[in-house]
Amino acid sequence: MTRMRPTGDWDGTRLAHEGFVFSADAQVVERVVPFVLEGFRRDEPVLVVAGERVRWLLAEHLGTDLGRLTVFAAAETWWRGGHGTLQAYDRDLRALRATTPSWRLAAEPTWLAREDGREWSRFEAVANRCYDAMPYYSLCLHDARRLPADVLAAVDRSHPLTWSGTAPAPGPAYEDPAAFLRSVQPAWTARPAHAGVATVTAPVQGRRAISAAVPADRRARLGDVVLATHELLANALRVAAFAELATWMDGDTFVVEVSDGGPGLPDETLGYVPPDPERGSGGMWLAWSLADDAAVRSGPAGTAVRLYFGAPFRP
Amino acid sequence: MTVPQGLDAVDQLGPGDHACRSFTGAADLAAAVVPFLDQGRRRDEQLLLVGPARSALLTALAALPHRDELLADGRLDLQVTGDSYSAGGVLAPHEQVERYRRATQAALDGGRTGLRVAADVTELLRGGRSGRRLLHAYEQLADELMGTLPLTALCLYDASVGPDALGPVAVLHPLQSLGDRPALAHLSGRGPVLSLHGEVDLTEAAYVATALVDVAGEVPGEVVLDLSDLAFLDVAGARALAGAARELAGRGTSLRLTGASHGVRRCLDLFGLDPSGPGGERA
Repeated sequence: MTRMRPTGDWDGTRLAHEGFVFSADAQVVERVVPFVLEGFRRDEPVLVVAGERVRWLLAEHLGTDLGRLTVFAAAETWWRGGHGTLQAYDRDLRALRATTPSWRLAAEPTWLAREDGREWSRFEAVANRCYDAMPYYSLCLHDARRLPADVLAAVDRSHPLTWSGTAPAPGPAYEDPAAFLRSVQPAWTARPAHAGVATVTAPVQGRRAISAAVPADRRARLGDVVLATHELLANALRVAAFAELATWMDGDTFVVEVSDGGPGLPDETLGYVPPDPERGSGGMWLAWSLADDAAVRSGPAGTAVRLYFGAPFRP
Repeated sequence: MTVPQGLDAVDQLGPGDHACRSFTGAADLAAAVVPFLDQGRRRDEQLLLVGPARSALLTALAALPHRDELLADGRLDLQVTGDSYSAGGVLAPHEQVERYRRATQAALDGGRTGLRVAADVTELLRGGRSGRRLLHAYEQLADELMGTLPLTALCLYDASVGPDALGPVAVLHPLQSLGDRPALAHLSGRGPVLSLHGEVDLTEAAYVATALVDVAGEVPGEVVLDLSDLAFLDVAGARALAGAARELAGRGTSLRLTGASHGVRRCLDLFGLDPSGPGGERA
């Protein structure tokens, strides 16, 4: 029998990101317990954030070793929307990186079972790019008994590694993060003829225009709409002399589109990358987090970004 | 006044007003100072015009009604910038503000209704970074003074110094007129704490940060910046405030932010700036 190697050839210098799908308690124990114990042997901080069942199984099998975990937390209370959850996670990662050369995490994003938690797959995809240099092994646990098929398919598409039975192995369904995002963003329909359109050359002018364009029954979120739109316009006006601002209602959803003829977003994943307080823009992250959904179309003619503000608006 | 205002007509200014206006050329300067001072004459205020050279000041006032009478009976004074602002070669903010306080009192004692000053202080912007630091500290102290006395001031700056030099000094004025640039942000020292008014976006962020560092850096210990009248802050503005907080911390001044609205807080949060916590900045 081949000897199990819980992290394979991972050398602790950069991110390893595995999507592990289980459908029985025994599979969790066989995968996670050796992963944890290997971390203890290597003197790596080991963090576990998981649902109640996984935590109970680990508690039973680790016994007194449970106290050696750096973090042993309930995943149920972690969800604050995709951006809020990742921003908190990002702070923890930076703190760890400042204090330890490498660490490992077993995480069960139980919120993927919620309707509003499914956007987490996008953050999982983008993590492969923005956390590439973070020296940790992220073992992501998914319960096939609780999660729908499309969420499980997204797990395979957003994790470069899968579990072979004895070691991590490249996942055959893994996709480039930008391609994954394009496949899950709202369909890019033609801009309707009745859309309001303005040409914007200065951010303050754009703020006045979007303020006036928000329909009367949507003004509860006026501040969010103006700030998100401003950040898109500010980004567009960095590379182009003018930008076009278009707004319309699509059913119950207020749509804002900002387009320009410049090279546009150098990286379509930016809306899912937590801002680095020391550098980087952060504007795209904020715009995406204020909107209910976002879509990007980039091409030789320029870049267009759409933000969707659905009904009912949050008070 | 909660929002910085553009300056449509200089002859509308009254006691407590503190305006910044850029000018391009002698004719534009005259177009600003003549109606401003003439309004003061109608209000029976003591008048003062400050600029780099006396002869140029006389020329600028050629169209002022009763100019020579006003000069002859002492109701209008002309002063050269170097003499009135930096007798020792360097602007002394507190002393200069004290001089205006006394001049206003003297005007009242002499039966005038107040003091009205138009000052071309472009020279003070040419004193390098250290000179500008003093000028920024001075403009803030002067603004505080104007909140308490019947004093009206029009600060004039030659537009040729460029927007980066004009930006920080302009945001220290409640009224701003800078060519095409809209008045967006105002950093005020009137009131118990510093306060930011209007909108701070990427076009104003660096100016506000510079003005804030120069004004708050005068005070050791903790400086409170009230954001409750700040209607809009973007990510660039929040980054600039975070930079200002770091720079102030390096000088021993801790910046505490208060009163941020929901939207302003969203941006501050990206940079670890906590508007409710003491010290203003989380590690």
